[in-house]
Amino acid sequence: MSHSIHLEIIESAYVYAPCEIEELNIKTLVPKMMTRRRLTRAAKIAIYLSDKVMFKKGRIVYGSSFGELPATSQILHAISKQETISPTHFQNSVYNTAVSYLSMLHGNQEEIMTVSSGDNTALNVLKLGAVKALEGDTILLMAIETLNIENIEKVNKCASYLECGVALKVRLVNKQASMELSTLKSENKIPISISQMFAIAKNCHPEKTNIIEIKL
Amino acid sequence: MKIKNKVYITATTSSSCAGENNQILFENVLSCSTGIVQDSNYFFNAKPAIGKLSSSNTFYDELILQCKKVLKNSYLENYKDTLLLIGSSVGGMNVTEDIYMCTEDYADIDPNKHHIQAISNTLTAEFDFYDTLSFSTACTSSANAMGYAYEVLSKGLYKNVLVVGADSLSRTTVGGFLTLGVLSSEPCKPFDESRNGMNVSEAVACLLIETDMREGSVELCGVGYSSDAYHMTHPHPDGQGAKEAMSKALDEAKLKPHDIDYINAHGTGTQANDSAEGNAIETLFSEKPKPYISSTKSITGHTLGAAGALEAIISCMVIKEQTIPSNTFLKKAENRKINLSLENHSQELKYVMSNSFAFGGNNCSLIFGKVDHVS
Repeated sequence: MSHSIHLEIIESAYVYAPCEIEELNIKTLVPKMMTRRRLTRAAKIAIYLSDKVMFKKGRIVYGSSFGELPATSQILHAISKQETISPTHFQNSVYNTAVSYLSMLHGNQEEIMTVSSGDNTALNVLKLGAVKALEGDTILLMAIETLNIENIEKVNKCASYLECGVALKVRLVNKQASMELSTLKSENKIPISISQMFAIAKNCHPEKTNIIEIKL
Repeated sequence: MKIKNKVYITATTSSSCAGENNQILFENVLSCSTGIVQDSNYFFNAKPAIGKLSSSNTFYDELILQCKKVLKNSYLENYKDTLLLIGSSVGGMNVTEDIYMCTEDYADIDPNKHHIQAISNTLTAEFDFYDTLSFSTACTSSANAMGYAYEVLSKGLYKNVLVVGADSLSRTTVGGFLTLGVLSSEPCKPFDESRNGMNVSEAVACLLIETDMREGSVELCGVGYSSDAYHMTHPHPDGQGAKEAMSKALDEAKLKPHDIDYINAHGTGTQANDSAEGNAIETLFSEKPKPYISSTKSITGHTLGAAGALEAIISCMVIKEQTIPSNTFLKKAENRKINLSLENHSQELKYVMSNSFAFGGNNCSLIFGKVDHVS
């Protein structure tokens, strides 16, 4: 009983770096210093990507396999040293942190979902986003990993790019797909968890209508 | 897409500090028998009141056991056509903590046992599912999973859905809420003037959701979502986001505020939540008859990502038993304009709302309805 839903990719953007992405333009995008200084790396990437795809208000589906790893690692370190956990690290450790800051920045009071499904995270962002898109509105799909923490090489055996993010602004269409997800080439140095969305963004043609079929 | 199937909760199981099954859980809720106790094992010298599983099983054994029990209580032979939806805020964080506390080295940490997907990985090693998807929106995680189950089933996209809310106690959550200054050293007193914080707890709560009505089913009538867009940890003082989520749930269920007989409030016992939620309820449910309101977190604690699913089960029990529970430790209400339940009320009731709110201003309200006849 597999259902399929076709999504038009209205806008797409991606960004990645071996360690830390330098081009995020956060001072311009977040003029208030007090707001800016609380942002996590993932929140900064989310703000950068949403600007690139020109999305401020509306429903968002976000995904991350490891969530806010820098905050989590700081908490682990504090626990092991029997130190008090920083309130900022704790509030910034939940998986929906990045999109929550994004909603505050733009006053976006719409539904915002966060999924975390290991290597299938991006695929599930696409599936969840496709189901939500059945209502007819334009939806922002976004997936981000921020793995740039000290000693990450002890557990990271796959990803060469430790900071990566991808955004797809999508809407439901009733037209033939122009891309087949299973045949898209992905960047093998990107974390597997967000690679399917990267593959879509990289294969979007700027002068054509890009449509992807999502099978549930 | 206009397909609009009715959606039913057909089998449920739970395990929490308030009992190893739903019957014990609800008896404890009605008899005001709390599972919250002081504990010094989670954060050095601190002794907050928290809720540990009453079962002697490990958390992961309990997770598998509860999913076996819900299958046994259902009409399904297996989960091969079932979409598994997980709601969890910490996933395998406690496993990572145990390893790191011993070695202070990431080398022995298994990423697949660390992240949110660790819950799903445990279950897919034991059962075959059609597909899986995990939500992690802090304390609304499993409420959002319930909402998604409603959406996909009402649209006819899947055959049935198993929602599992699962969060274990961890040093991160106990220490984190301690550092925010919102943990109580006694069972919490939601909506009371003298409330002094919340109780972190753990739980596993499972709900099988279908489009076929079964004996004892409760209807899942609607869901409403919103974002505060206000602050990472504080709700908007007026409860604007909470009100929006409740309004949307009512619209989805095609109900009016006066149709709701009881609200199982988020009611954590913190100053900020209870004040904002009270204001939201006061504004939206201003006309008589006003619904009874209570929080059951004095009995279960705040089970974080599992709370939405656990309180969905309590809401189903309220409908099945036609009994509204009291606010266990409420003596002097801060907000006198809402109809806080001071004792258990046995009465005819049809619709129950359950609220879940989270860090980042993530809000979800669910509405459950009594099913009159099995056709």
